[in-house]
Amino acid sequence: MNAIEAKGLGKWYRKQGVGLPTLVGALPRWLSGGKADGFWALRNIDFSIRQGQTVGVIGPNGSGKSSLLGLIAQTMAPTEGAVRTTGRISALLELGAGFHSDLSGRENIYLSAAILGIPREDIRRRFDHIVDFAELREFIDMPVKHYSSGMYVRLAFAVAVEMNPDILLIDEVLAVGDMSFQMKCLDRIRQFQQKGKTILFVSHALETVEEFCSDVLLIHEGRLIMQGNPSDVIFAYLKQYMVRIGMLNVEEHGTREVEMRSIRLLDATGAETATFYTGGAMTIEIGYHARRRIEKPVFGFNIKTGNGFYVFGSNTQIAKVPIAAIEGDGRVRLRIEPLTLKQGRFFLSLAVHSWDHATQYHRQEDLHPFLIKDAGDDKGLFQLNCVWEHQPNP
Amino acid sequence: MIQMITDITRHGDLIWNLVARDLKIRYRGSVLGLLWTILNPLFMAVIYIVFLRLLVGRGIPNEDIIIGVFAWQFTAQCVNAGLNCVTGNSSLVKKVFFPRIILPLSVNISGLVNFLLTLIVQWALVAILLMMKGAFLEATTLWVPLFCLYHLLFNFSLALLAAAANVYFRDTQHIVGLLMSAWFFMSPVMYPLSLVETVARAHPWIGPWIERVYLLNPMTVIITGYRAMQMPGDSFPWTAASIAGLLMPLAILWIAYVIFQRAQRYFSDFL
Repeated sequence: MNAIEAKGLGKWYRKQGVGLPTLVGALPRWLSGGKADGFWALRNIDFSIRQGQTVGVIGPNGSGKSSLLGLIAQTMAPTEGAVRTTGRISALLELGAGFHSDLSGRENIYLSAAILGIPREDIRRRFDHIVDFAELREFIDMPVKHYSSGMYVRLAFAVAVEMNPDILLIDEVLAVGDMSFQMKCLDRIRQFQQKGKTILFVSHALETVEEFCSDVLLIHEGRLIMQGNPSDVIFAYLKQYMVRIGMLNVEEHGTREVEMRSIRLLDATGAETATFYTGGAMTIEIGYHARRRIEKPVFGFNIKTGNGFYVFGSNTQIAKVPIAAIEGDGRVRLRIEPLTLKQGRFFLSLAVHSWDHATQYHRQEDLHPFLIKDAGDDKGLFQLNCVWEHQPNP
Repeated sequence: MIQMITDITRHGDLIWNLVARDLKIRYRGSVLGLLWTILNPLFMAVIYIVFLRLLVGRGIPNEDIIIGVFAWQFTAQCVNAGLNCVTGNSSLVKKVFFPRIILPLSVNISGLVNFLLTLIVQWALVAILLMMKGAFLEATTLWVPLFCLYHLLFNFSLALLAAAANVYFRDTQHIVGLLMSAWFFMSPVMYPLSLVETVARAHPWIGPWIERVYLLNPMTVIITGYRAMQMPGDSFPWTAASIAGLLMPLAILWIAYVIFQRAQRYFSDFL
């Protein structure tokens, strides 16, 4: 059975001038008979989500993800098309919605529960649990305006998790809060999954999306670009959109006497992917085309973290794998094994230049994102091979 | 309409919580909140009494002015709270789904609670003033709380219109401010209905028509109703026009409800 079904869904927004809408401001438009101009925040969206599925929604900022959740949650009305839902919906779109700063924590618990549609009896019965969960026992009768932002969010979340809907919509809520808070959130999502609830989950945390979701929707400029299994969709997203929208300082330049025409990231089985595992293998395959004969070209690469930290770089010259000359098409393979990078998102740059570094033939800076996943518990950027020893009586 | 009633009964818990929020914030830990609720119409009444004395002499009974001003304040308060009840809760409206009608409804219910509190003061004042003349409040005064509910219905329909309009046009609040002050003089707040009747009788050609149209103003029949229930010797003018005036709020409520429900679909686009 489908829990959520969207057919031809579209949302049009009027482009508003500066400031708030006013009657005086609208009069000239009416008198001149002009139509307001606007834009489609979402258009022609068709999808269906089966009951019990956890579906991620990804896409760059401003792509229409939040509008989609708003339409499903019914806080907005569609301009065209329709969305049908089966069962009770709760939206975790903003923590602390309806909190009033002058009221105490206790009063806000009841108020926000009422707003979220949690029955009063449930809250009364679970009150102590909520307070303990939020770790606010001694501050519960204090007005929330005196709370720290962490306390505020904890309280809001403690109430929100008491929701027991059939469909749960989550919008980037997990981005706030510290590590332990996020773990609690994720635990709660797992519980919902076990109960067979349908979850729709908007997030920029691609790792989390990949871990939790059975299906992912990719939205860009108001269109549903792709729907499918998480690793495929995330791969497509990283490859096509993150780079295009300029989230990174992406550059491509060079004389193009040699051109890198196809870049493929392959896992141990030779399949193209964007997700690799610590301890596994990664193969970078560069298909090039040299327009003329180039003597002693050098192929190089480097890897940076998402925030620009230079992790590692090398080239065929440093590695003492000289290439005598190239002409026409060819292929260069770089195999990294074992992969000692740990959890996170990384960016690969590739270059081909002359022996003396005088000419850059083709350079792709941060053009190739990939994701590293780690099953281990140890922390950090790198996996260091370490051996512990213990001597009780020296 | 049936939809409205089921929406309201299904979200009784939320309405109760929002009303409690309004009242708690107003009366939180201080007598001042209560004091201001009462002082506001009281000051207004005193100012009108003093000025009318200076301007027109002893013509208008003080009790009439007091009853008129307190009732007017109830409507004014509900309309003003209604204006901001959606725009002031924009984050809530954008993020959480619930029937939007709950917002104007809950501010009106808090308005009613405030009014009932001021009503005690109003009764005390009018009773004292009457006693000084050797008269007493009418027994029908006991009907006043029930009549307040009818009055509330009217206030609620105005609040619905004000709330919806203010989302689409933020200058509604200024326009409403102007309309309210004009309406104040067009309603028998600081003069009794009999004054209008006297004026009407002086102009036999158009006077009766003016009087009929005047009675169609729901505020006229509401304030006159309050006076008829409380003041000894005052009676409600049961005419076709006044009955039409009494039915008017129901018609307005229905229209306001339809408009509000249409408007609320796109609230979040304009917030």
